[in-house]
Amino acid sequence: MKEPRYVRVAVWAGVALLLLWSLVPIYWTLASSLTPTVEFNQRPIHLFPQQPTFQHYFRLLGVLDGRLGGVDVASGFRLALFNSIVTAGAATVLCVLMSLLAAYAFARLEFPGRGLLFSAVVATLAVPGYAVLIPLFRLMVSLHQIDAYLGVTLIYVSAFLPLSLWLLKGVMDSLPRSLEDAARIDGAGHMRILFSIIAPIAAPGLTSAAILTFIGAWGQYVVPLVFSPKNTKPLTVLIPEFAGKNFVDYGLIMAGGSIAIVVPCLLVVVLNRYLIAGLLAGSTK
Amino acid sequence: MRLKSDLILACAAMLMTTTGGVALADDAKPFAGQTISVLLPSPQDANMAADFEKATGIKLDLQTASWDDVSVKVSTALLAGTAPADVTEFDWSWTGQFSAADWYTPLNDTIDAATLEDIKGSTIFNVGGNVLAIPYTNDFRVMLVNKKHFDDAGVTAMPKTLDELVAAAKAIKEKGIVKYPVGLPLSATEGASTSWYLLTKAFGGDLFDKEMKPMFTAPDSAGYKAMAFEMMLLKEGLVDPASTGLKDSEINETMFAKGLTSIMISGEPGRLGQFNDPAQSVVGGQVQAIPVATESGKTRSFGLLEGLGIPRNAQNPDAAKEFIKWMTSKDFQIHNYSNGVLPTRTSALAELQKQGMLVSGEALVEQAPTVEALFPAGAPTWYPQFSLAVNTSINSAAKGEITVDQAVQRIADAVTEAMKQ
Amino acid sequence: MTLQTTGILPRLGHGVGKSADAVTAFLLVQPILVTMGGLVFYPLVDTAWDSLHRVNPMQPGTPFVGLANYTRMFSDREVGQAWLNTFRYVGICVLAETVFGVLAAALINQLRTGRRWVLAAIVLPWALPGVVSGVIWQWIFSPGPGLLNGLLVMLGFDYEGHLWFNDATSAMLGICTVHVWRMMPLTIVIVLAAMQTIPGELYEAARMDGASRLVMFRNITLPLIRGAIAVAMTNATVQAFNLFDEAIVLARNSVETRTILIQIYLEAFKKFNFSYGMALSLTVTFVSLAISLGYVLRIHRTTRLD
Repeated sequence: MKEPRYVRVAVWAGVALLLLWSLVPIYWTLASSLTPTVEFNQRPIHLFPQQPTFQHYFRLLGVLDGRLGGVDVASGFRLALFNSIVTAGAATVLCVLMSLLAAYAFARLEFPGRGLLFSAVVATLAVPGYAVLIPLFRLMVSLHQIDAYLGVTLIYVSAFLPLSLWLLKGVMDSLPRSLEDAARIDGAGHMRILFSIIAPIAAPGLTSAAILTFIGAWGQYVVPLVFSPKNTKPLTVLIPEFAGKNFVDYGLIMAGGSIAIVVPCLLVVVLNRYLIAGLLAGSTK
Repeated sequence: MRLKSDLILACAAMLMTTTGGVALADDAKPFAGQTISVLLPSPQDANMAADFEKATGIKLDLQTASWDDVSVKVSTALLAGTAPADVTEFDWSWTGQFSAADWYTPLNDTIDAATLEDIKGSTIFNVGGNVLAIPYTNDFRVMLVNKKHFDDAGVTAMPKTLDELVAAAKAIKEKGIVKYPVGLPLSATEGASTSWYLLTKAFGGDLFDKEMKPMFTAPDSAGYKAMAFEMMLLKEGLVDPASTGLKDSEINETMFAKGLTSIMISGEPGRLGQFNDPAQSVVGGQVQAIPVATESGKTRSFGLLEGLGIPRNAQNPDAAKEFIKWMTSKDFQIHNYSNGVLPTRTSALAELQKQGMLVSGEALVEQAPTVEALFPAGAPTWYPQFSLAVNTSINSAAKGEITVDQAVQRIADAVTEAMKQ
Repeated sequence: MTLQTTGILPRLGHGVGKSADAVTAFLLVQPILVTMGGLVFYPLVDTAWDSLHRVNPMQPGTPFVGLANYTRMFSDREVGQAWLNTFRYVGICVLAETVFGVLAAALINQLRTGRRWVLAAIVLPWALPGVVSGVIWQWIFSPGPGLLNGLLVMLGFDYEGHLWFNDATSAMLGICTVHVWRMMPLTIVIVLAAMQTIPGELYEAARMDGASRLVMFRNITLPLIRGAIAVAMTNATVQAFNLFDEAIVLARNSVETRTILIQIYLEAFKKFNFSYGMALSLTVTFVSLAISLGYVLRIHRTTRLD
């Protein structure tokens, strides 16, 4: 089964278009991050910076000493990067794990209120952040979880659980039960079945849930603005601070943004291998 | 014998002075060792925390946020019933709302009569006798001009009246120096509202009368004329049509600082320093402040001060008061001017002017006494609705969607609606 | 975690019958119950309670007002306009994200080499912090030194100094473009994962029967990813109903482009009509759910898997 040439060309053309659409603004972010401050907003526009410079990166990474008012840019940035990675990572692990366990229960086990509970959890997908912001804030204040990793991580988990759960349940619903039945006859318990049999086959679903949760948490803004004001401040909240009242440091913003996209990018590259089919091969005995 | 008594006396004296000295040192720093949290917009002075601790022994937990976000953080915490910090930013426009909600502790005991006299702007934050915040940055408006453009166009005298201003702008445009000489935000942002307020003042009127009834709906009123003036500038090609999408800060940074426009109608004195900074602007040495040009020629302006307040639920209000006193002290205000923050103390301004450090000092000193409060009784509780109505109506009118009549009517309607609640 | 579970839960899972299942299920579902219960349901009850009272920090007390906050939105001109704008955004964005998202996923699915790099590139719009994305797109649409106008002029069209946001329709389309740019990767990831779970044998069989690629797509791929499409569409709908950043950054507070979420923010956090804002946000929740339910039910009714 060979594929006609024109099909391959069409696919690559399509992909090229897709890449162009996605990457032109990203390119401009990168180009701007290498532009010296004085060149910003110049007319006519240049597609490449006239005098590219790494000064913004140096300031962010501490190679060059930079202070933006009372904030030490480099240490603030390092901390923010760390915070983003920790909170998004922890939220992803927790969320996917919880969804996996619960999806199994919803898909395979009978218990009262199953349908209602599932629908209720998934329905919270539609709740805007502002609807729960104030009561949640009061709750976190009373639990001393303002500016603490646990509080904000759990909030992220609650935000992405509905989607994650829905995806994983959908994946499990469409898996043939023959494998599990075979294993059950052999005497395997629920947990064994879940982790040895279902999870590997559901890998694409798990991976997409992980990617969705990580990038979703990575891009959160309003929640950390309120719940992570200082020591747990992530990148999304730090970068806007480079826009002061009298001066917007576009170079720092663009450089910060460019570094901020590296982590999710790497994650996708690494997780890509689990997004592949073929793990079904040889599973039927 | 005498030697021994001398010795005893000497020892006694030494003992007294040392203990007295130690006691005095303690009195000077009664709050030493405590910590307070402060929420301010970024950026702030680089060494603020260190300097404050050295002066008072109080540790400073400085939280910063971008200017737009500070109000979100303050409101959210207050709505949830907690204090955002021991000391927070307090913008003039929040006065009405925050006093009605009774969220801030009155600072009447922190500010003595001499300071009150020195910081004239504190009346703006005085609601019903309670001083809710003490102003620390003095943002009163002037007009900023690019002197080089004026010289190149042959306009030697700085405009004192609006007619002269329009004439100068036309001259600059005709000579081809810049395409759109007047910088004026027309977007649905706060900058467009404050520009209109300034022009209303420039046309010799006010926004509301004593009973808070709108005074801008009649065609011969100052507010109406101001709106018509803005539309005229746009129509005559003196204001860039792109201003319908630009914030005031963007016009300052992308147009004025790049030499693409010549006159900032609602000019901020705090920006004078950055216009002389070669890293940010190409118009170093060309920028100058002038008193606001008005219809009559007699200058007027108003202040958009930002203050420091202590929320009622603050954990450490007494130490917090020390911070406010320190940050609004004459010395710190003079030091903070190097960060672009214009002092609120008249004495500090005078000192800077005396030392020749006040950029465009003559204009600022001339403008300062003419600065009035926009709302003499403090910002009303419905200020946000009013301001939103103002800038969205200006925006719609500038885009040609509604007329000036409809615009002022919309604003008046919004005020009536807001006052009903 | 993988295999020690048999030790930790020795009797669980080995029991037979409904009650044992129920106990296992309860334990498995426990973390979700606690998290969602505490962090979503409980605050929602609080919010719903507030929406039935007048909660305004500038006015004393919080009297019960019944459904007044809900009926008020019908006579509120600004809110009405915001709803109208939002429905338009939802219509355009969901359509664009779903159609192009599925196509894009199908394309990526065909790739044999370099897939992870393409995927990583696709995901970047979504990973870019909102503020950076806002600034970049502002620059792209900027009338003077903007990329879009610059490119159009280079191609020979007269777009010098064109103002994209002066006209309400073009402003909306501009906002939709940015939103779709940011959100389409979500749809792609969801749908791609579903495409990957389709067994290759189905395609093999169809190919041997002589089916063309288009036929295979329509008869094999689409039906089997219907569930994922429902999820993706629901997500896209909710995200579009919650459109905020793009509209605020590109068009600020202008009434013609304002979304319902911006209106909620203004009502609750700026004007301090807090309970009104909360009533509005609950309404948004229900409306977006109702619409999503529409396609979820429709898709599940037409899909029967064994």
